[in-house]
Amino acid sequence: MSPALFSQLCALGSSLVLITGIAILWRHSLAVYIDYFARQSFVFVLVILGVAAYAGEAELYLVAAMVFLFKVMLIPRILRRVRRHVGVDIEVRPYVNVPASVALAGLLTLIAYAVTRPVVEISGLPTRAGIPLALAVVFVGLLIVVSRRSALAQIVGFLVLENGIALLAILATYGVPLIVELGAFLDVLLGFLVMQVFVYRIRETFDTIDVDRLSGLRH
Amino acid sequence: MLLVALLLLPLAAAVPALVAPRYHPSIAATSAAASGAAFLAALGLARANLRGGVPSIGPEEFLRADGLSAVLALVVSGVACVSLWFGAGYLERVRDHGGLDDARLRRFYVLTNLFVATMLLAVTANNVGVMWVAVEGTTIATAFLIGLEHSKAALEASWKYILIGSIGIALAFVGTVLGYFDFVQRVGEAPHALHWTVLARLSPGLNGDVLRLAFVFILVGYGTKAGLAPMHTWLPDAHSEAPAPISAMMSGSLLVVALYAVARWKVVVDAGVGPGYAGRMLILFGLASLVLAAVLLIRQSSYKRMLAYSSVEHIGLMCLGLGLGPLGTLAALLHMIGHAASKSLAFLASGNLLEAYGSPRIASVRGVLGVLPWTGALFLVAALALLGLPPFGLFVSEVMLVRAGFLAGRPWLMGAVLALLVAIFLSFLGHLHRMLFGIPPADVRPGERRPLGLLPLGFNVAVLLALGLVVPEPLLRLLRLAAGVLRP
Repeated sequence: MSPALFSQLCALGSSLVLITGIAILWRHSLAVYIDYFARQSFVFVLVILGVAAYAGEAELYLVAAMVFLFKVMLIPRILRRVRRHVGVDIEVRPYVNVPASVALAGLLTLIAYAVTRPVVEISGLPTRAGIPLALAVVFVGLLIVVSRRSALAQIVGFLVLENGIALLAILATYGVPLIVELGAFLDVLLGFLVMQVFVYRIRETFDTIDVDRLSGLRH
Repeated sequence: MLLVALLLLPLAAAVPALVAPRYHPSIAATSAAASGAAFLAALGLARANLRGGVPSIGPEEFLRADGLSAVLALVVSGVACVSLWFGAGYLERVRDHGGLDDARLRRFYVLTNLFVATMLLAVTANNVGVMWVAVEGTTIATAFLIGLEHSKAALEASWKYILIGSIGIALAFVGTVLGYFDFVQRVGEAPHALHWTVLARLSPGLNGDVLRLAFVFILVGYGTKAGLAPMHTWLPDAHSEAPAPISAMMSGSLLVVALYAVARWKVVVDAGVGPGYAGRMLILFGLASLVLAAVLLIRQSSYKRMLAYSSVEHIGLMCLGLGLGPLGTLAALLHMIGHAASKSLAFLASGNLLEAYGSPRIASVRGVLGVLPWTGALFLVAALALLGLPPFGLFVSEVMLVRAGFLAGRPWLMGAVLALLVAIFLSFLGHLHRMLFGIPPADVRPGERRPLGLLPLGFNVAVLLALGLVVPEPLLRLLRLAAGVLRP
């Protein structure tokens, strides 16, 4: 494969990861949030496989397999179970409405392009075109967390943010050293498992997962 | 060997708590003993450094304890030892009053030992990626500890903590990846490129723009975990809802472990882009934290939240110190030890207040010195130390800090800092006066519940006095070594 074609494919894959992230901001249903997260992770797996094949990095196949197993299969499955248990589907009244959050996502993407300019300039890798898009995914994940009031939606936002960081690591450096990669993966998985336990507890205690109702501790 | 012992001791202490069929007091004793032994191991590491060596183990110094790591290991294990020793009796009394059951008590010891082990790994790992993994591990270990007593407020605090903490730490990983990227561009892919020793050695050739961007993510990310304003929002909730021994460890040591991560990266950034940049950012966030603490301390109605905001203040001061050159760095390190001793003392004593008065509200607590003379006296000592009064350690470090500021040619900044410290002093003292004196509520039974349980807290008082009267010579040398590590 020629470097130019590979470079374009990387940019295309990263754009798809970003678009599935922004699509979450577009919708109101928690079930759809989870589906889109699973799709985003699947596109991400394809990007990793592409980079692994092009760069000949054997470690990346392992990373791709782990992302597929956990972020495409297992985590969405757990999330769906939590959602069924919680029983509410509609993310009513987000803090920021749909047109405003999509516009903000566009703005954040521009900011991501601006701040990563020095990174893209010195990078010699054909994957560099996707670096600003990866940082934009991080920002979009952050936006999902702060603009949604359902604890479950906030978890999805955190996972999207995490996908953005992992994508950044793959595109900028073909992945961080394996021990760090594995440690980070374990942390995210454990963190996710802890978070979903708290969703159950919040539901039991407050009879809702609308975190706006959790307001006993202001100042 | 000492390094391995340091990490394995708390891990080993988690095992009996994990496999025991039910809680037994020996589980608590094992944990306290393990952290005590870890403290001795940390002392051994400090001694090795004073003799000119840097203990390390594993391929390419995987674990490494220079002077800075040794200071942090002493703080982490020392606070853990006192908290667990005091906590053993305290938590059993909470259980006897129905606040906990045996199953949760057992879980407390599993998670707390893991918490201590992850903090110790964070300060001894040479690989900054592993350091990141360990700091994130502390979030996971402590998430369930905050809500140990299962109240609504604690659940809310835990959710805020795990969500904000995880996101902050994720942003720090962006910074780590960018730093690694910069390194790979310059040197090529090396197996140990994420080792701090390698990064610090080769950073003069790195790209300044990328390093600056990386440091923004590092500071905001780890700064969230360190409780710097404006990312502090989870801190007052988590520190005030957690059980007393956990509040003590989170405030006394976890905050400075996060700040340690920032300081390690500051060395790399300083070497890459010159000393001004990271220092200015640290001063900015430090000053913001001081302002926030000064504004919000006045209207606090709970004494544990008051102590939590005081932590924001002191982390802010340490941040300022790190930004003010070598003398400021030395002051920050001294301040770190003094704060660990005084804040853990205050939080542990506040556990006794909560037990006796049954309320975290300042308005419900009157006449502490009459009701609990020993606890009251210890709380007073901790509070006076936190206010920076002599003869306690924080007085010395604050004077040193202000001097460093003037020497660095920043009189206006120091004027602002002094004004903020006075404002904090007045509001804190007002709350303290109302609590310690006056007529206690009629339903509060006077008398210490278990005076011998206060014995471990004597260690904190001794540390505060030693630092305030005359800093022991070996400690001063160790602190100079640690400050030397942070010099570009």
